[in-house]
Amino acid sequence: MEPLLLVILGLCAIGMVLPFVFQEHRARLIVGWLGAGAALALLCFSGACLFGGSRFEVGLWTIPPFGELRLSADKLSALFLFVSGIVLLPSSVFASGTLADYLGRYSIRVFSAWYFGLFATLVLIPLSGDGLSFLMLWELMSILVYLLVSYEHEVAEYVRSAYLMLALGEAGTLFIALAFIILAGRGALDFGAIRASSAGLSVNLRWVVFLLALLGFGVKAGLVPVNVWLPQAYTSAPLPFVPVLAGATLNLGLYGIVRVDADLLAPVMAGPGLVAIVLGSVTALLGILYATTQSDLKTLLAHSSIENAGIITAVLGAAFVFVALGHPAVAAIAFAAAFYHLVNHSVYKTLLFFAVGAVDSRVGTRNIDRLGGVIKVMPLTAAFFLVGALSISALPPFNGFVSEWLALQTMLQSAILTTTGIRITFAICGAILALTAALAVTCFVKAFAMSFLGMPRSDRAAGGRRASRSATLPMAFLAALCLLLGVMPTYVIPVLDGAIEPLTHGAQAAQALVPPFFENSPAHHELPAAFVADFHTLGAQVGQSFLPGRGLVVMHRGGESNPVVFAMSTSYLAVTLGVMLLAAYAIFRLTIARRRAVARRQVWDGGIRRLLPEMTYTGTGFSNPVRVVFEAVFRPTMVEDTRETVGKHFRAAIRRTRGENHVLDRLVLEPIGDAAISIANAFARMHHGFLNAYVFYGLGALILGLLIARFS
Amino acid sequence: MSAELERLAEYAKARWASRVRSSLGEGEEQLCRLDCDASELRAVCDWLFSERHYSFGGLVAEQRPSWKLQYLFYGAAGEGWVYVVSEPTAEQMPSISPMVHAADWHEREVEDLFGLSFEGHPRLGDFVLHNDVWGEGLAPMRKDFEGVSRDEGLQPDPNWKPRRIVEEEGAFAMPVGPIFSSATAPVHFQLETVGEDVIRALPRLFYTYRGLEKMAEGRRAEDVVLLAERISGTSAFAHSLGFCQAVERVCGVMIPERASALRVFLAELERLRHHAAAIHGICESTGLAVAAAQAAILEEDLLRTSGSLTGHRYLFGMNTVGGLAIDLGESECRRAATEAARVAAGLAGLQSMLSVSSSFLDRLEDVGGVSTNDARDFGLVGPIARASGLSRDLRVAQPYCDYDRVRFRIPEESEGDGYARLRILFREAEQSAGIISAVAERIPEGRFRVPEVALRAGAALGWVEAPGGAALHWVRLGSGGVVERYRIVTPSFANWHGFRLAAENFAFQDFPIILATFALSVHENDR
Amino acid sequence: MSQWVIKGLASGIKSSRYPDVMEAAPGTAPGLPYATRMASHLAEALTARCPTAALEQAAGGVDVNLRRCIHCFRCVRGTDAPISWDAGYETAASAESNDPSRRFGASFSSSAHILVVDAGDCGACLSEVRQLNNPYYNMHRFGFFFTPTPRHADLLLVVGTLTEHMRVPLRKAYEAMPTPKRVVAVGSCALSGGVFGRNFMCAGGIAEFLPVDVEVPGNPPPPLAILHGLLVAVGRKSSVSLQRRVEPVAMRRE
Repeated sequence: MEPLLLVILGLCAIGMVLPFVFQEHRARLIVGWLGAGAALALLCFSGACLFGGSRFEVGLWTIPPFGELRLSADKLSALFLFVSGIVLLPSSVFASGTLADYLGRYSIRVFSAWYFGLFATLVLIPLSGDGLSFLMLWELMSILVYLLVSYEHEVAEYVRSAYLMLALGEAGTLFIALAFIILAGRGALDFGAIRASSAGLSVNLRWVVFLLALLGFGVKAGLVPVNVWLPQAYTSAPLPFVPVLAGATLNLGLYGIVRVDADLLAPVMAGPGLVAIVLGSVTALLGILYATTQSDLKTLLAHSSIENAGIITAVLGAAFVFVALGHPAVAAIAFAAAFYHLVNHSVYKTLLFFAVGAVDSRVGTRNIDRLGGVIKVMPLTAAFFLVGALSISALPPFNGFVSEWLALQTMLQSAILTTTGIRITFAICGAILALTAALAVTCFVKAFAMSFLGMPRSDRAAGGRRASRSATLPMAFLAALCLLLGVMPTYVIPVLDGAIEPLTHGAQAAQALVPPFFENSPAHHELPAAFVADFHTLGAQVGQSFLPGRGLVVMHRGGESNPVVFAMSTSYLAVTLGVMLLAAYAIFRLTIARRRAVARRQVWDGGIRRLLPEMTYTGTGFSNPVRVVFEAVFRPTMVEDTRETVGKHFRAAIRRTRGENHVLDRLVLEPIGDAAISIANAFARMHHGFLNAYVFYGLGALILGLLIARFS
Repeated sequence: MSAELERLAEYAKARWASRVRSSLGEGEEQLCRLDCDASELRAVCDWLFSERHYSFGGLVAEQRPSWKLQYLFYGAAGEGWVYVVSEPTAEQMPSISPMVHAADWHEREVEDLFGLSFEGHPRLGDFVLHNDVWGEGLAPMRKDFEGVSRDEGLQPDPNWKPRRIVEEEGAFAMPVGPIFSSATAPVHFQLETVGEDVIRALPRLFYTYRGLEKMAEGRRAEDVVLLAERISGTSAFAHSLGFCQAVERVCGVMIPERASALRVFLAELERLRHHAAAIHGICESTGLAVAAAQAAILEEDLLRTSGSLTGHRYLFGMNTVGGLAIDLGESECRRAATEAARVAAGLAGLQSMLSVSSSFLDRLEDVGGVSTNDARDFGLVGPIARASGLSRDLRVAQPYCDYDRVRFRIPEESEGDGYARLRILFREAEQSAGIISAVAERIPEGRFRVPEVALRAGAALGWVEAPGGAALHWVRLGSGGVVERYRIVTPSFANWHGFRLAAENFAFQDFPIILATFALSVHENDR
Repeated sequence: MSQWVIKGLASGIKSSRYPDVMEAAPGTAPGLPYATRMASHLAEALTARCPTAALEQAAGGVDVNLRRCIHCFRCVRGTDAPISWDAGYETAASAESNDPSRRFGASFSSSAHILVVDAGDCGACLSEVRQLNNPYYNMHRFGFFFTPTPRHADLLLVVGTLTEHMRVPLRKAYEAMPTPKRVVAVGSCALSGGVFGRNFMCAGGIAEFLPVDVEVPGNPPPPLAILHGLLVAVGRKSSVSLQRRVEPVAMRRE
């Protein structure tokens, strides 16, 4: 185990230094090869731990007042490392391709240095086993992300967005530090000791720690109200780096939430979990609302990341509630849903960012209202974007369906709880999550259809070139993963179990969700024979001769009165779908297509002479109903200016400018900013310039300090 | 001669001295003619329109061979006609559209068809003759135009595209038509929008432009009656009446009383049927199927009544110069009047049911409103203007035929929205049925036409309140009774101009309903 | 809302029973002129009265070309030798073609979707076409429906003389229709240019522009005549000739 870790870190170190030896254009090849190599090593390392069960525990230096700095890998860390590996492998290849656009403008060597530095922190943070190393690595990660986001430092707006991210990140780090301090109490800072001492914390302190951790990690995870930096930062980040930002660093925030709020501070009260559910649901709704009305593809995907982070947090909150109220099996389902969604999100979001990056790089614009018809010039990119869009809209047979379905089923499991207030919260938040799922479909129909289909709305869109292989190969890899994760859920869930078991005190998600219908599965005898026979008539044993594992059906069994609470099988669904489509196509070709030729005519446009692109629907028009229905959230301002040429009724132009202030800016950022400024102004009155008064301030502070020392 | 017109002439003489020369009409004619220099044209027209509140009727351009433009104004309260006559210098005239916006489309049409330029008008070109078919530079109404060969004459502009006005992020221009609904006339709308509301609606008309004014030149007057009927088949009687009255005025013919009365009878029958059809269109556009069917039944009843009374369902072939083409018996007229009264009762019943159908009213109330000021500026006429507070009716302002002896009211509403227009249609239909009954009671004895009409040269205006509003027919006859110039100003021409006032700033779903409440005829506009 | 249901039911059934029973209600059709036997000097004067040359002098009388009649009634009114007038409305004529894309199978006889294109009409023909949907004629009982898009249309019903501006839209509509498709030209303007004739804007009918399958004469043809034309187009009624010739006199045997 140790050697693999050393290989990874070694490759990162080489990657930080080596490019400075070579010329600029070779540097990007180094990024590609070394990055891919390091990612492969990471996959092996974390795979060994996740699938194989090997443990890893090492102590580093000891710093006397704080304790020992430790690195340890349990299955939870391994899961997050594996996901990072899946993201970093294609991202490195993609980055090496798109870095070509930066040749001559910015230093690729510097990019490489920061990139591999971040790689190393991405590897080390899940591995850190005590609070101090965690905080130091977290801070390092924040700084490196800032450096990478502000890579295009000549654009003032990008630097400003990165600065906002850094500022909020620092506030988050402060909260996390406080949380660790309170958790540790008077004991050591390593996680084992914290786990032990946290059992004795009082109710109030538990609330404080929970909220501090939720908001502190929520900054990086993208939760309301601390995610105001996210859309701007994602838009400002350079193309080679954005997929990693969205696919890997977002997960770190969620890792922190799970580690602190589920592992180190085992849930015993339902309250904090409910807060997480509500916060997650609101985050999801706001995220998708703003995503639907965006015209810039990158910003759209950023808001969509917020939405997915919200869904994951909401389901995690449900898991906390179930653990606290003593339903470990259902909690396992909830954790399974959350982790599955996390994995899925990393895969399809990275895929979507690859596609958008390819379009931006080849066509030159990301604005939906200036794209159109890109499928004709970039067919592969369009196909992969479609796979990503179908996945994120939770359509079978892709992976988004499984995790979204499990998430909504989890919310429905509130039926087993007894307290009415909790059930109402679950119901309302479940409804909000369903609404976000529907809005997500709208959003991605718009994103795909308006950008890739139809007529090109600008010359750039008409003249794009096909994407290079350094972009299409990573996209193909992730698209295949989307399909695989969607079609084989019963193989993924047992893998997630490794991370789930410690959090639910032994309950297994596979136990709760994957009944062993296959006869040669070791656990087959656990099921009652009559039950198995019923399902065998439905075909639940199909595939047992050549597929390993427990079965292909995801099902939650209930008691006597309700033997099947919910069930589905995307594996069988995919096969059936494939067969039906093929059959329909075959019938069409053999019967109808034989008798008459297919004629291709122009699209019917009402009889006008030419249909121009400006006569086709724009993305803004498509999403306008959402903007109108949710006007209370958006509160847009409209400035209308009609220029007349001559006289009162001849109009030369009607210029309308729509201004929008993000609801969080209105409700959170601006009030805080105004309050801070007014407090500062109040204190500024103390700086009046009289020396005598300053001496008096010093005297007063000295007296106060003496009094405190006297009476404490 | 009204005192008002005399005062008008005095004032003009006092204010503009020799640059404007006024003359008054003879005898019974309520006419004041102001010959003015091109430099004073704007001032005179602005004064008439804005200060004296005369309505702008139309613009008549003639090439004799020197150019002469006549701007026709009339007083809505019965003051009479004012013709402002001017001559262009080097085929250029100052444009009066910035002050008198009602002249906008008239000037555009003259520019497109005659090639005269109007300085100060910002929107010349591509109006009647579509530039993507013809290109610029063709002036078919000129005397020397010989027709154009398809191979060499057409120079269409392949890159022509409609002008965009809205500048907003994400705005687009949705094209509707010219073929866009089940069995409608062709008109193309360019609806600029950002997705929900129509920000700007620009109709592109003249797909059914047949060149009637050009066709009429050189034909005998009795043949041009056939053309006048076919300006708009659903207002055939009204337009042929306008033309016949113009010719009768040129030749100084007094038509017999019986002919006058029967003309009123048939004109009101046509108005009643036109309004029933408009009500049917409104009910159909809102999707209220039973109401639409009821209105359609009443419309067909009136068509069959017209058919059995005159031999043609649309009253073709009834008007002739000097009276009617055939006589109508008293008993037949009374039967038709009874039928009209039954239809009117049916319409009243329909109205009472519609006024309590809230889902129907929701689509019409406060939708597609036109303010009184806008209606006046754009020169709207007919039921649409009356719904916006402008109660102008040529039957009252300048009575023709027997209308000064018939008692009826002109309904007026002030809201200007779709429901107001519907209410006006119902009330006008009721008034028409009343007139029909009143006339059928006492049709004067006598001849139904002047047997021989001696056609002579001259020019005159014939006017009529068509079902859609005020229609003006300017006719100049040459020797032998041949038409030299025929200028047709139709109510749809004025009202299409103002359609965009109602359609803009409403949602897409309201657009077909606003279109139906206007009940405009594309063929009447296009000629 | 129930008031509308009651009102509708109380109105009863108003649909004409044509074609099972010939419709005879007054005012449903103006009719059309009929070929007439008359002395040649009278025939000459009569043919000169027609403004669109619909009447032709023939041996023994006056022949009528129905394509050109515009219902001006000058051949009936104001003359001592009026032409005979036929009160009927079954006047549509069809031209059979061997082109398979212009032949309808039996399935179309009870279902046809119609696209109506106005190519320069005066408004009367279009109004009569719209009357086909009113309760008196109710063309839905034949399975005929108006459709706003050519993609769903089987029949293209054209009214109006073809104006220059409508050439491109009409051509595009025709091309956009899937086969089999038939064209029905309605009204004297569409058949021959009517009273407008040919000029710089008007093409004098659509016959040279599109392949016309069924012609319905009239100005405007009444709804029953248009209905007859549609029934001819789908093969439920047989077509009639548009050239009405004077019958030769049977030779008297001595």
